[in-house]
Amino acid sequence: MNEEELQRAVGRLPKSIEPPRDLWPGIETRLRKRRWSSWYWVPLAAAAVFALVLIGRSLETHPAFDVTSLAGRPLLGTTPLTASGRLRVGDWLLTDDSSRALVAVGRIGEVEVKPGTRLQLVAARADDHRFALARGAIQATVDAVPRIFYVDTPAGTAIDLGCAYTLETDSLGTGRLHVTRGEVEFATANRGSRVPLGAIVQTRPAIGPGIPYVEDAPAPLVRALTAFDFEKGGARAARNVLALARAQDALSLWHLLQRVDPTLRATVYDRLAALVPPPPGVTRARAIALESRALEGYWTKIHRIHFRRMVLQGVREIDPRTGTTKR
Amino acid sequence: MPPPDDLVARAQAGDQTAFRDLYRQHVGRVYALCLRLTGNAGDAEDRTQDVFVRLWDKLSSFRGESAFSSWLHRLAVNVVLNEARTTKRRELRVMPTADPDSGVGAGGGAQHAAPPRDVAGLSIDLERAIAELPDGAREVFVLFDIEGYGHAEIAQLVGIAEGTSKAQLFRARQLLREKLDA
Repeated sequence: MNEEELQRAVGRLPKSIEPPRDLWPGIETRLRKRRWSSWYWVPLAAAAVFALVLIGRSLETHPAFDVTSLAGRPLLGTTPLTASGRLRVGDWLLTDDSSRALVAVGRIGEVEVKPGTRLQLVAARADDHRFALARGAIQATVDAVPRIFYVDTPAGTAIDLGCAYTLETDSLGTGRLHVTRGEVEFATANRGSRVPLGAIVQTRPAIGPGIPYVEDAPAPLVRALTAFDFEKGGARAARNVLALARAQDALSLWHLLQRVDPTLRATVYDRLAALVPPPPGVTRARAIALESRALEGYWTKIHRIHFRRMVLQGVREIDPRTGTTKR
Repeated sequence: MPPPDDLVARAQAGDQTAFRDLYRQHVGRVYALCLRLTGNAGDAEDRTQDVFVRLWDKLSSFRGESAFSSWLHRLAVNVVLNEARTTKRRELRVMPTADPDSGVGAGGGAQHAAPPRDVAGLSIDLERAIAELPDGAREVFVLFDIEGYGHAEIAQLVGIAEGTSKAQLFRARQLLREKLDA
């Protein structure tokens, strides 16, 4: 990275970052203590009333987000949304084939609700902004610390790690997540997929997320992954994936390593290591044993290379094996 | 929400609801500054609260000669840097036999700088790399390259020579390039 690239990257840093929790209660407490010490003559009864008011205020929640109609007449519950309104916790927002809406997600981002969508606001707390996408598509843009913005779908939950993405699903859970900035984890109780910018993951009912793949993955590779994930393709599909994978598909192989039958893990590891050599400290034995530190170390390297490739796309050619600039 | 000027005037008159609204408007910018200057999410939360408590005390001295956001920004920088200096002095008193090469005052102390939690998407690697910079280098880098202060001003704020500020900036940029290329 040269000076100019560094400056460009610095210029893109967000000027504003929301703290991971609401800091106001702590500030308010400190201000109250100071006030109490200087206004010691205030009668106890009045202070008690004041404290009760404050407690009441602190308990008062604002479980609603602003919603604006972008096209047509979305429904807020059963009421047509003409211009704007408030989406409260528990409310459903529905768009038909010709309507769209925009939900302001507190102060952390926004969700564009595409046509043909049914979306519910489930929680609106500082540490938990949560929607349920019953069907349809949304485009979410979030600038916040990880794991405070969630979208539940019939196939699992999209967990924001600071990003922008498009998520679509039918009412059963067949869907697709496409991440355009940052990273999203799509998880069920049994499995999770990490989807960085420029990657896609498909979802299916009762299974959850498949293996993510890069936007420019060859169609035969995507078909092989689909066969492995959702069509009981087993070892044969896994071998197809290995044969078709390129260095830039390392993120797919990293997931595959954890999902194949244990007897195939060594084969998957060897192919992954041939495409993107493991970082220091990650040994074959540890990776095949799925030791979390080894997997995390490998992921960090794969993610870094992928990130550089995506960010510098069209600017510099990045070697997908090492992440360095090709000479 | 009322216009910012109105909020400032109401908060100056002691209206705590207006002050809370001011907090809501500016907390993201203040927290970002504190997070980058301290390199630690926990410290950043503490400093952000310190800034707003200090703001409540100092509000009456705001005369509108500059934009309120600029004035608050400067106040935040002072709060963070003062706390950093106080902490360093305290550490020196408590640990007089500490290794002189530990880097206090020379931008050492990276051992205190835990990386922040992941922040906004694309910038995640850079944010981490900034958090891992030695204290002195990080402060100068954040103030110069991100916040746009000049070396003379940084020298005054941080309490170092102007030449030291330039050297720290050079060092920070070099370290960042190395980290991001690794």
